[in-house]
Amino acid sequence: MIHTENLSKTYRMGEVEVQALRDVNLEIKDGEFIAIIGPSGSGKSTLLNLLGCLDKPTSGAVFIDGINTGKLSENALAEIRREKIGFIFQQFNLIHTLNALENVALPMFFAGVGREARLKKAEELLVKVGLGDRIYHKPSELSGGQQQRVAIARSLSNDPEVVIGDEPTGNVDTEAGDAIMDILEGLNRDEGRTIIVVTHDAEIAARAGRTKRMRDGKVLD
Amino acid sequence: MKDTFLLVYRNIRERKTRSILTMLGIVVGIAAVVAIMFISYGMQESITEQLSEMADIIMVTPGSVELGSFGELGSFTERDLKDVERISGVKEAAAMMGEMQEVEYRGEKVMVEIVGIEPRDMDAVFGETVKLEEDGDSGTSASGRELRENDRKACQIGYSVANDYFDYEIGVNDRLTINGSKFRVIGVLEEQGGFRSNVDAQIYVTKRDAVNIFDTRDISSIFVRVRDIGEAEEIADEIEDQIDDNHKLDDFTSAMAMGGAIEDLKSIFSVLQVFLLAIASISLIVAALGIMNTTLMSVMERTHEIGVMKAIGAKNRIILFLFLMEAGVVSGIGGVLGCIVGVIAANVISFGIYTAFDVEIAVVVKLQVLLGGVAVAMIVGILSGLYPARKASKMSPVEAVRYE
Repeated sequence: MIHTENLSKTYRMGEVEVQALRDVNLEIKDGEFIAIIGPSGSGKSTLLNLLGCLDKPTSGAVFIDGINTGKLSENALAEIRREKIGFIFQQFNLIHTLNALENVALPMFFAGVGREARLKKAEELLVKVGLGDRIYHKPSELSGGQQQRVAIARSLSNDPEVVIGDEPTGNVDTEAGDAIMDILEGLNRDEGRTIIVVTHDAEIAARAGRTKRMRDGKVLD
Repeated sequence: MKDTFLLVYRNIRERKTRSILTMLGIVVGIAAVVAIMFISYGMQESITEQLSEMADIIMVTPGSVELGSFGELGSFTERDLKDVERISGVKEAAAMMGEMQEVEYRGEKVMVEIVGIEPRDMDAVFGETVKLEEDGDSGTSASGRELRENDRKACQIGYSVANDYFDYEIGVNDRLTINGSKFRVIGVLEEQGGFRSNVDAQIYVTKRDAVNIFDTRDISSIFVRVRDIGEAEEIADEIEDQIDDNHKLDDFTSAMAMGGAIEDLKSIFSVLQVFLLAIASISLIVAALGIMNTTLMSVMERTHEIGVMKAIGAKNRIILFLFLMEAGVVSGIGGVLGCIVGVIAANVISFGIYTAFDVEIAVVVKLQVLLGGVAVAMIVGILSGLYPARKASKMSPVEAVRYE
C-alpha cells in the first residue's frame, strides 16, 4: 500500500518559489488501478515522481508498505525503484544504443540477475506485450506505440508490485494508446498489480478503477 | 562484468570519432614516454659499454683538463713517467706527446693533432687494439701495417684524417709534410667514432719522431692501466701526489680514473632521463585533460540516459563504474597502441640518428616499461574520468530524466 501524508513539494526557480504540491493526502491500495487527472501544471507529474521515489518531498511523507521513503538513503531508494516500482514515461526513455531485448533486460542487470535468465525473461516480457518479433530492433527502428510497449515490458522486468505511468499514451496515436491501456488493464486485472497513471485525457482516466483530480498542486475529492 | 563491458563498448562505439581522438591523445603521450625510455636505455647501454672498455684506465694530465683533450698547463717529464710506473697496482703506463701541427698534403695545409707514442703502448692507450682499416673491395688488410719502434719518419693516420681532412684521400705510402719534415703513411686506422672519435682526427708517430717535430721531450699526458679497477681511485690519488711532489706544486696533476667517470656519466644520464620523461609527461597531462573533457561531455550528453538508468533502479555505484570503465577502456587501448607506436618510433628515431650522425643507438625494449605504459595510461584515464563519473553518479534522477 502507498499513502502520503501532507505531501508538499516546492521548486525554486531563481528568485521565485513554485509550490508544485500542497499538503497532498492520498491512499492507494494494493491492486488498485488509479488515474490522476488534471491540466498541465497541476502537479500530477510531481506527485508521480514522489510516489515513484524519483524525488524527495519538501515536507510531508510518502509511505510505501509502511516505510517512510523520505528517510531512506539514495541507494535504498534505488533499490525500491528497481524492485517495487516499474516506471513508464511519456517519452518512452529507452536507451537508444541498446536493442529492445537489452533495454528490457537492463533493470535486471542492475538487480544482478544472470545474463541467461535475464535475456530469457526479457524475451518473455516482449512476447507478452506483443513484440516477440521485434526483440533485436533498436528503439529507432520501432514506432512510438512499439517503443512504449518495450518500456512497459522493461517496467515489469523485476516483477514490481506497482507500475507507474506518466502520460503513457501521451506520445502515441489513439489505437496504440488503447493497446497500451489494454496491457495496463490486464496487468491490474490478471496479475493484481497496482497501476498509477497520470493523464490529462478523460477517456484514458475512465478506464481506471478510481480517478483523482488535481488542480494547483492539490488533490480534489 | 561481460555485460558491463558490452554496455561500455556500445557507448564507445556510439561516439566512435570522439573516442578515437581521445585515444589518440593517450597514444601520443604514452608513445613519447615509451620511445624516450627505450632510446635512453639504449644510449645508456652503449655509453656504458664503450666506457667500460676503458674502466681500468687512469688518464693523467696537467691541471684539471676535460676528458679527451690534452693539457695546456705544463707538462710531465720522463721522471714522472718512471715514478708512475713504480706505483703498486699500475699495470702499464704510456706517455703521450700531443700538439697541433701544420700538415701538408698535395699542397694543401691543415692543422692536425700529432701524437707521439711508443708503438708498444698503443693498446694501453686505446684500451684495446685499434685495427687498421680494411680494404673495402678485397676485404684484406690493404691499409698498411702497425707502427713499429724502429720506424723513422713514418706515421699512422686516423680515419678522418685519411678521408675527410684534405681534398685528396690519403692512402698507405702517401707522403705528408709535418712541420717541414716528410713522413710516410704506413697505416690507416679503422674508423672509431663515439667516445674515441678523437683517434680518427689524429696522426700517430713514434715518440722519437715526436721529440724532433715538437722540439721538446715534454710529455703531455700519461695513460695508466691498473690491475684492479677497484683500486683505480686510490692509485689516481697516489699518482697526483707523486707528480705534484716531483714538480713541487699543488694541484699540478689531474689523474682521472675512467671508472669514476662512468659512474658520473651514469648519474648525469639518470638526470637527463628524468628531464626527458618530464617533458614527455606533458603530453600525458594533455591527454588526461582530453579524457576528462570527453568524459565530461559524455556525461552531459547522457544526462537523460543516466536519469533513466537511475529511474529504473541503477545505483550510484553502477553509474560511477560504467563511466570509469569507459575512461579506463579508452585509455587502456590507447596505452597498448601507444606502446606499439612508441617501440616503432624508438626504432625510427634510432635509425634516423644512425643515418644522420652515424651514431648507433640500440633500442632497448623492456617489458616492465611496456606494462608500466599501459598501467599509467589506465591510471591517468581513470583518474581523469573520476570527476565526470562522480558528477554523473550524483545526479538527481528526476532532474536527469527531464534533461533533454
